[in-house]
Amino acid sequence: MTLRDEVCQAVTAVASPAHAAGDAAGVARGTTSDLTIDETLLLHSAGWEPVDLVFGISWWSIPWGVWQWTTGEVQEASAAFTGAVSHAAKQLRQSCEQSGGSGVLGVEVGVRVSSHHVSIELTGTAVRRAGADAHRFEFVSDLSARDFVLLTRAGWWPLGLAAGASFVIAPRRTAREWAAQQGQNVELPNLTQALYLARERAMERMQQSGAAMKAEGIVAVKLREGKASSSARVIQFVAIGTGVRLRTSTHRSVSPEMVVPLDEQVRAFDVRSLRSASAE
Amino acid sequence: MTESPGQAGADLPHPEDATDAPLPEGLPRDASRRLAELEDRPGHKGMFTSDLSVNEFLLIKEVGFHPLGFVMGSSIYHLGIQTRKWSQSQELSKLTQAMYEARQLAMDRMDAEASELGADGVVGVRLDVNYYEWGSDTAEFIAVGTAIKAEDGHSYRNRHGKPFTSDLSGQDFWILMQTGHVPLGLVMGTCVYHIAHRGLGQTLRSTGRNAELPNFTQALYEARELAMTRMQDEANELSATGIVGVRLEEKSHMWGDHTIEFLSLGTAVARSEGEHTIPQPQTIISLDG
Repeated sequence: MTLRDEVCQAVTAVASPAHAAGDAAGVARGTTSDLTIDETLLLHSAGWEPVDLVFGISWWSIPWGVWQWTTGEVQEASAAFTGAVSHAAKQLRQSCEQSGGSGVLGVEVGVRVSSHHVSIELTGTAVRRAGADAHRFEFVSDLSARDFVLLTRAGWWPLGLAAGASFVIAPRRTAREWAAQQGQNVELPNLTQALYLARERAMERMQQSGAAMKAEGIVAVKLREGKASSSARVIQFVAIGTGVRLRTSTHRSVSPEMVVPLDEQVRAFDVRSLRSASAE
Repeated sequence: MTESPGQAGADLPHPEDATDAPLPEGLPRDASRRLAELEDRPGHKGMFTSDLSVNEFLLIKEVGFHPLGFVMGSSIYHLGIQTRKWSQSQELSKLTQAMYEARQLAMDRMDAEASELGADGVVGVRLDVNYYEWGSDTAEFIAVGTAIKAEDGHSYRNRHGKPFTSDLSGQDFWILMQTGHVPLGLVMGTCVYHIAHRGLGQTLRSTGRNAELPNFTQALYEARELAMTRMQDEANELSATGIVGVRLEEKSHMWGDHTIEFLSLGTAVARSEGEHTIPQPQTIISLDG
């Protein structure tokens, strides 16, 4: 087979009818997933199977000039972030439903903020209950398959991604304040407060998006912060986690046991660590 | 508490924030609002947030605690200037004080957020220092963690009536509780030390020879001892029976080669009442490649 044929075949495979439709017609189609073999096995042991790799991408524009003409929090930017996340999540859900999955696991969240737009890229593996006929959409989560199995064993279920962001322009000190602070041990209250509030707002927005999906809690929250856009004075705070809810009447104990691994090097059962190990 | 917070009012980004409660004492209004949303009230179902992984979350539940919320505190601090003598090893007490006080401010605020939630403790505490391009001689000190509460109503607060803090992970916390210990608080000691440069004579004498450099050895030794002693003093003050998970960090931050901060951090623990037998761990050989 020539390379050209191979490429054509790959393209038709990607463009062929979605999974659910394929099954109905009795056409078998392989699954695509970025899960490791261990995770796939674990998922199968819990009665789930991977279906397809799914994406959700959204770009939102930020009005021109907000970075220059405002001080304090830049709400236009956080609104753009919220819009982009919800749109990307909607796309992810659609592509999950199209492929016949009932949930998306291991979602990687790519956030890029430049001075004129926010882009959100969500990539994850759609999964479904093995052997079930109808697949109702249930969840999106950035938890790994391993975390998902553990969590559901304890009676908790993921619901969706909860995210919040805030962008703040660090206030300047007046010349007098600056002069008075030289050589002194002092706290800078206005800067402290501005950044403190920005962090709190990012977390508050994340909480609100969790509350909107009726979550009982948000686990594995990651707070990312750093310089945004072209100006060093603009700082972005992004909080992302997975909203969870207890489906059973009470929390089920997972009864952990103490173990001493006798391997020289302990390797955690984690996609990321496995990935970084293979990259070395 | 070095600065009267009222002075900050004029430069606040949002005019409505000027009426905020003072920073060092109370919490900013946004923080209280966020925390209030987490709590259960009539007509409002609360929720928890946590930066614990799923493993940690389940292990915290396993020892009878429930996470309440992700709590944090921060402080942006202007570090003073202290002159150093080129040829003399000495502690830079002003910088030591700054590094200590700024971390303490951040931790106090984190404590205040946890108390607001009615927590028994904060686990998985991380202390970070950020530097920003726009602030010379300034650093942001941050403390974040997850506030937890015992589900059986038993209070685990320490002798000051404050929630305990601990930098132990959920896994370590579970193991600690299995051994019949309870955490009392995150204890730390710090020491910023200037290490003397060697004189020309000393340099020449040791050239090409195997020799210990006593002044370097002594300076580093003393700085570490000072930091650890301060940490132990904090633990004694909490009537701890021990400190676990001690880490000793050495960083030059922005002061150049010869000035180093030694920070020792650990979790002060005490034996809880009642007999505890430590379960025999199971030995496993994992089959992972």
